[in-house]
Amino acid sequence: MLGRVDTRNQSRKAPLIRANERGATSIQIIVILVPVLFGFMGFAVDLGRMYLIRGELNTAANAMAIAAAGRLIGTGQSTTDAVAAAHLTIDNAGGFANKYDFGGLAIGESSGLLTSQVDEPAFYDSRAAAIGEGDAAGGSQATGSTAKHVRVTLQADAPLIFWSFLSLGQSRRAPIAAKAVAGMSAPLCTACGVEPFAVAALDAGDTTNFGFSANTRYTLGYLCNGLGTPGLLQGTTARVPYLILNRLDEEATLFTDEASQIYRIGAQGLLPSKTAAKACIVANAEESIWVTAAPLACAQNRVPATVSSMLCGLASRFDPTTIPTVCASIPEVETIATAYVADTDLTDLDDYVAYTGNLRRVITVPVVQSLAAAGTMTILGFRQFLVEPNFGTTTVNPSDQNGRFVGLYIGSVVPVKQGSFSGCQLAAGPGKVVLHQ
Amino acid sequence: MKRLNSRGSAMIETAMMMPLLVLLLVGMTELARITYTYYTLQKTMYTLARYLSTQQGVNFCDDADSAIVAAKSFAINGTTDGSAQSTLANLTSDMIHVRIEKYDPSTQEVSECECSITGCDTGAGGGPPSFVVVTIPDGYSIRPAIPYLVSESILFKPHVRVPFGGA
Repeated sequence: MLGRVDTRNQSRKAPLIRANERGATSIQIIVILVPVLFGFMGFAVDLGRMYLIRGELNTAANAMAIAAAGRLIGTGQSTTDAVAAAHLTIDNAGGFANKYDFGGLAIGESSGLLTSQVDEPAFYDSRAAAIGEGDAAGGSQATGSTAKHVRVTLQADAPLIFWSFLSLGQSRRAPIAAKAVAGMSAPLCTACGVEPFAVAALDAGDTTNFGFSANTRYTLGYLCNGLGTPGLLQGTTARVPYLILNRLDEEATLFTDEASQIYRIGAQGLLPSKTAAKACIVANAEESIWVTAAPLACAQNRVPATVSSMLCGLASRFDPTTIPTVCASIPEVETIATAYVADTDLTDLDDYVAYTGNLRRVITVPVVQSLAAAGTMTILGFRQFLVEPNFGTTTVNPSDQNGRFVGLYIGSVVPVKQGSFSGCQLAAGPGKVVLHQ
Repeated sequence: MKRLNSRGSAMIETAMMMPLLVLLLVGMTELARITYTYYTLQKTMYTLARYLSTQQGVNFCDDADSAIVAAKSFAINGTTDGSAQSTLANLTSDMIHVRIEKYDPSTQEVSECECSITGCDTGAGGGPPSFVVVTIPDGYSIRPAIPYLVSESILFKPHVRVPFGGA
């Protein structure tokens, strides 16, 4: 029909031809505009999808980095554990793994055209090296015993719809990468969930280790008065007296008995609470002794019952199923103990680097200027010990007459579960896991 | 007559193309809106999970726990006391479910942690979970408004798993 109109009107009605061609051109223009149109559609649809995928990959990378950093505990095995922990966040066995592309594609697996891979996480001993690009920017990778920070890198392909019709998107996919860096923070001023065993600094001027030596076994024994200082436990080099700081919760609604409370504190550290004053210890703050744990005369050769209950909790870190006789009188102790698991490594270690357990035996204790049974003590900072089984056994002895157990000093290598920073300047001490980038 | 006829053909051509163009343009914006909504939801889930995983003394077995209520409110509208407008219409805190998971070293798998003293019921003396997963079990529904097409609502069920760092 168009052709007929054209021939008929060719001579007489030139404007009509133009009008007619206008119609034909609109199709031509649209045809020519298709690549442009598809380019624009690509901006809306494909680019939007790429941003979404980048967001999802960032989330996944963050979760992986935080999980990995939580396992960097200064042991030889820590980097292996960290890699395994990181991969748990994208493990879809339960159906709730972090995924990408509208939550549809698994990270680290390929599906059809689209590939995705998780690079081997890189470990560093300093934050600057972990954030910097590669080895040139700030140091080489760290081994398990020194690693404190981890960098996780992920890659995944975003599918293209409209841009795949254009020459630039012929592969029908665009690679997207995400990176996250996590690690131990600066020293915490407020440490939560720690064990309230106050130990006196051997040398308050030594801000790094307070006079303790790494990988040295100390006899931690309860402070007593007068002559007749109790002897050392076998295999240890020095006695470090301790006191229990007061965290009795008068308003507790669960396992309210004082002995039950202190058993739980011994077994897991300060009990979680929304009130920071109950669950945390603050550096530079003044603390006083647990009221019923006032030290006795050394010559009496016994400790307050409260201390024994605390040691019962400590023993549950080695074996929660057997309740020692001395602990049987603690109210509801058998119920409470079902909540705990044993450490997976119960060996008596000379060197912390060889530790392979699940951190049940690691205690974070406040270090004080000097112990004071009456009045207050000033908290200088926090340090960590690995509780060792008594010589030749696999647990500590809660019925010890002097409240003694063996602690291997490990410095501040394990991240504390929770805490905050404001209000102090500490040269060293344990931090918590934070996301750097 | 003939003039009208040929002019008409141009108009008809344009008229024929218009629906296609409108469909493309509106479809494009609708797809973009859907992507944007999903991204916002996903960010909401992540914010909630991260906020919760740094809290202390959270009782995950109690939906009315103040930390969970505050976290949901924070994720949805940016304030812990619920005093602001939600970022997404129709997204309410009761649509969101916080699932707690624990790693079992014997099976080497992550599975849902029971609410009991041997599981993760911190209100009964249990230990903390290993992971916090934030989900929308029944989905967030969005209906794309594309002309000439009657489309079904799409249900979005994003979830985010974050390691629990608190105690």
